[in-house]
Amino acid sequence: MSRPGFVLEVDDRTPPLVVHEGEGFRLESFPRGTRVVYPPEPLPSIRDVDGAIRRALLEPANSEPLPALLRAGMRLTIAFDDISIPLPPMAKPDIRQRILEQVLTMAAEAGVDDVEIISANALHRRLTAAELKDIVGERVFRSFFPQGALYNHDAEDAANMLHIGETDRGEVVEINRRAAESDLLVYVNVNLVAMDGGHKSVPIGLAGYRSLRHHHNSHTMVHSRSFMDHTKSAMHHSAWRMGRLLADHLKIFTIETTLDNNVFPSPYEFLQKREWEWGVRDQASMLAARRGLALAPKGMRHRLFQGIRAPYGLTGVNAGETEAVHELTVARVHQQQLVEVRGQSDVLVLGVPYVGPYNVNSTMNPILATCMGLGYFFNSYRGQPVVRRGGAVILYHPVEPDFHQLHHPSYVDFYEEVLSTSTDPAVIEAKFEEQYATDPWYVHLYRTSHAYHGVHPFYMWYWAAHAMDHVGDVVWVGADRRAVERMGFRAASTLQDALEMVSGTVGRSPSITYLRNPPHLIADVR
Amino acid sequence: MKTPVTGPVGHVTRHLLTGALLKGAREDVRMVARGWRWGRRSMVPRSAEPYVLPKQVEPFPTAWARTPVAAAVRDGVQRFGLAPLLRAEVTPTVHGLDVLDRLDRPVVFVANHTSHLDTPLILCSLPDAWRRRTAVAAAADYFFDTWWRATGSAMVFNTFPIERRSGTLSSTPGELLDDGWNVVVFPEGTRSPDGWTHKFHHGAAFLALRHQVPVVPIGIRGSFAAMPRGRGWPVPGRPAVTVRFGEPLRPEVGQGPREFGGRIESGVARLLDEDATTWWEATRRAAAGSTPSSSGPDAAPWRRVWAQTAPPAVRSHRRVWG
Amino acid sequence: MLALEMFRSIPRYAASRAVGNRMPGLLVGPMAPVRLVTRDEPTMRRPGWARVRPLLSGICGSDLGAVTGSTSLYFSALVSMPFVPGHEVVGELVDDCDDLPAGTRVVVDPVLACATRGLDPCTSCRSGRTNLCDHVTVGHLSPGLQTGFCHDTGGGWGERLTAHRSQLHAVPDGLDDERAVLVEPLACAVQLARRAQVPAGGSVLVSGAGAVGLFAVLALRELTDAGRITVIAKHGHQADLARAFGATDVAAPDEAMRAVRRTTRAMRVAPRDLPPLAQRRVGGSEMLLGGVDVGVDAVGSTSSLDTVLRSTRAGGRVVLSGMPSGADLSPAWFRELEVAGTYASTGDAFDVAMRLAAEAPLDGVVGGRYPLHRWREALDHAHSAGRLGTVKVCFDVRSRA
Repeated sequence: MSRPGFVLEVDDRTPPLVVHEGEGFRLESFPRGTRVVYPPEPLPSIRDVDGAIRRALLEPANSEPLPALLRAGMRLTIAFDDISIPLPPMAKPDIRQRILEQVLTMAAEAGVDDVEIISANALHRRLTAAELKDIVGERVFRSFFPQGALYNHDAEDAANMLHIGETDRGEVVEINRRAAESDLLVYVNVNLVAMDGGHKSVPIGLAGYRSLRHHHNSHTMVHSRSFMDHTKSAMHHSAWRMGRLLADHLKIFTIETTLDNNVFPSPYEFLQKREWEWGVRDQASMLAARRGLALAPKGMRHRLFQGIRAPYGLTGVNAGETEAVHELTVARVHQQQLVEVRGQSDVLVLGVPYVGPYNVNSTMNPILATCMGLGYFFNSYRGQPVVRRGGAVILYHPVEPDFHQLHHPSYVDFYEEVLSTSTDPAVIEAKFEEQYATDPWYVHLYRTSHAYHGVHPFYMWYWAAHAMDHVGDVVWVGADRRAVERMGFRAASTLQDALEMVSGTVGRSPSITYLRNPPHLIADVR
Repeated sequence: MKTPVTGPVGHVTRHLLTGALLKGAREDVRMVARGWRWGRRSMVPRSAEPYVLPKQVEPFPTAWARTPVAAAVRDGVQRFGLAPLLRAEVTPTVHGLDVLDRLDRPVVFVANHTSHLDTPLILCSLPDAWRRRTAVAAAADYFFDTWWRATGSAMVFNTFPIERRSGTLSSTPGELLDDGWNVVVFPEGTRSPDGWTHKFHHGAAFLALRHQVPVVPIGIRGSFAAMPRGRGWPVPGRPAVTVRFGEPLRPEVGQGPREFGGRIESGVARLLDEDATTWWEATRRAAAGSTPSSSGPDAAPWRRVWAQTAPPAVRSHRRVWG
Repeated sequence: MLALEMFRSIPRYAASRAVGNRMPGLLVGPMAPVRLVTRDEPTMRRPGWARVRPLLSGICGSDLGAVTGSTSLYFSALVSMPFVPGHEVVGELVDDCDDLPAGTRVVVDPVLACATRGLDPCTSCRSGRTNLCDHVTVGHLSPGLQTGFCHDTGGGWGERLTAHRSQLHAVPDGLDDERAVLVEPLACAVQLARRAQVPAGGSVLVSGAGAVGLFAVLALRELTDAGRITVIAKHGHQADLARAFGATDVAAPDEAMRAVRRTTRAMRVAPRDLPPLAQRRVGGSEMLLGGVDVGVDAVGSTSSLDTVLRSTRAGGRVVLSGMPSGADLSPAWFRELEVAGTYASTGDAFDVAMRLAAEAPLDGVVGGRYPLHRWREALDHAHSAGRLGTVKVCFDVRSRA
């Protein structure tokens, strides 16, 4: 049985609660009266995954069955979500592998020869061969990768980008040429959170800077309330306009999947449980984990966390026309993640965990930590933000100024050059974005190495634009003081200190809400 | 110049040498012990109560306690630990053990219950052969709520859990009887607060009827005075305690648990009367239906307790075991 | 006359070389090859010479180099021991000197070229480049490349020195002493800016934000058409001053290479899979393909020079302003860099410097004034000036406090 999410009110019976902070966690005693939002327990998952996929492909929403769309001699392109979802990565076999295998089986039966498979990584880093293999599985990898028919999307390969047109708002729609010139584009998605999927898949995943700049900017992000709710998100509105334009030019068959929120495998299951229900075994695991993490050298701790593979269950798979499919998908995601919260509070507390979309097998640098906390977690609401306008956000993360040299070269410069000039997203955008986006070295590294695009750190900063615009105070608990100050925030060593620091903004006895995330949740603030 | 040891090895070494590991562990354990109320009942935050799943009652497994090895260990503990300790603290007298000679195992022992002394008293009163094959029904919600208490009582007293609230008996006592184990049942369900006998539940009667085994009533006097509810150890001065076994009761044809239960209750009451007076007087009063109620006078609580704290008149110093 | 004197002591020199940079405490303590002495006033009974009473006298990096033994022995033949250091001097004329009456405030161009030595001009002097004079060891005077390194002239760290008319520049009344004492280092910066030959709009990297680096930024901004000037500064106040003096970007040393790459849109390459030791010690560290048009090393340390050499574009110019120590010259060869030195100043540099000293935002640049007898404190302060938020430390020669 899956219990719904709920809002706990901390009282004198409440044990200390888990707060994630990077590669570690702490147990925090919250002030009495603090509201703690718990996500629903994992929904019942589908047992016959392959059967469910087959059914979805044969009985799609608002579309002909997939086999009817396949014929010999056609150009078929399959694109899939890259390594940025799900988080943490999925224990094998990846759901994308299982879908790809069935789609390819049907394509083989129909006699389709011209098939290419593209990782829709937009301006994300290229996936390594091993990472591609983890996602698509050994069979698909061996059949396509050596021939060069399984590859990463390259948004800076001008010859292989096709200008489709402009929307009625003048937004340039430009996507991968191979995908655009196919007879059928199949998109395989994993819908981890409500912002994923729909028209965010093809028009964004297979696009480049010229197209992305229309919705990935500080203005749009401030007006996406929130981007977890595509009906209220300026970013999604733009993507939807682009998607509709694309749908007129190109036959797209979308396959979307939803997962439960089983994110902590053994021996970390206690992190998945509600604290007051911890048994002796859970308490012992927690104590052991705490000591082990304290003793482990940094590198080992990093490997330990990055090695976590989540035992997700599949809660839904839908296929067919993008918008019809996405409606079903979002409903399922909401079922797994929505928690009703009554009213806003003065202070929002967030624990930023070790992994975000952009540091899988990598390092969570200060900019990504900010994006994760003030971008994703802050925006994980429907209706209105959890914290009132002018309130305070308290985040937990070490925020060490460590950057992955291979993956995040432009982040270092962004951190050192841009953030020391200004932290205002709009100012940064006007002054630096173009330079970084067109810097030849970043372009080179994006195309040939495994680096995020030069402009990517800007997008991360824009994600946080709404939060920075909305709240009065941001304090990081347990963070590197200099790193946090460079980003224009403040650091505290304990929650008490942090509350003391924000008391100027929210008073001595503020209302506090803590989102106990992960697993992911969306606060439905009424 | 002193160069600090860096790198992973340095980190681990420093962590161990500076005592950070121990210090952190100590702080964590203290925090968890306080937060999760070690040694006490765990608590659910009030606002979370509606979302807590009903606790799955998992009967504590006690079959291990009846394996030959455990039985052998228990035999040693009871003979060389429990019995001498009991004799050192109280002065027990046992009557009526001869009834057992006329019985085949298994039987259900039914006794009034006023003290934690009752179980050891009964066990230590029984002849070795009987004692080794006797199990004690104990309240699941008290004796079996923590693993250490459950393990301890199952080991030393051969207890098995019984649900006293729901009224439905778990299947274990029946299975034990079927396997040839004698079962001790305190039909009151709990220790008497004032020493007098309270209403008997009919579980024991039901059990005997169902499995067609005789019931041996046992009357225990003086254990309330020796160690009432709330005391953790007998009062000083080796108070006298008597344990009196009565004639076995066999269910008659057509008798339901209610009637049989009534017979059992009066059987225990008679034994208490007999112990206070003489067998003859008690027999006569029983025949006349005027056995004094073992549930005591309808008087103020203090008088009820007062009456029960008087030590039983001990007329025989014959020791049955030892 | 009271003066600080630097004398030759082989043990002290060896000791300071051995521990020089690690334990400066020793050097301003018992091991310093410097002593406070009472000695005779320097006198030059020749036309054109006059006595000067120093008012303020700066402590220069090269002075510290001599004290800490980090100066190359190359220079040992060019000085005459014992000498009174101090070549950044503002003082008053004690005697009339040709057209300058006694009492005139003057700054001293320290170079002791042919004119001061009573010689016919050498090739360099004839061409007007007195700082390159070939006769700094001959003539009337003992060897000494500058006032402050010559036994006969005295120096700024004493109560009297003698100077030749060709060395003297009158200080306008409006210019106070604390600015006037900066004229000599500013003149060096002017020389640097000229030697840098920055193309119009060209990008410049200045490594180091001590007095030399900061004045270099000031001069480059004032005298050239440089575009972006990136400064590598270790300390916060240096960064602020660098910006005030005209720097476009300021980066910390460990950020420098990336900052240059960003501003110049160069390609950065770093060897992979090298052990960290190799990266640090044998040049296996990052470098830029592309980079600034002109790189200025205003520190002289190996790492600074390395950074400059590795982040200057092919065919670009590297200017050595600090007294350089060793560095890997591979980039100079491979990238066809023009390596240019800049030493002291010549021509009208002092006039330009005088103007800069009057106009530039130099208030507070002199961050410490010490009487001569507190020389240990003064040298210690100068040695860690950057960390202590100071650009220039001076001796207030008249002060007895």
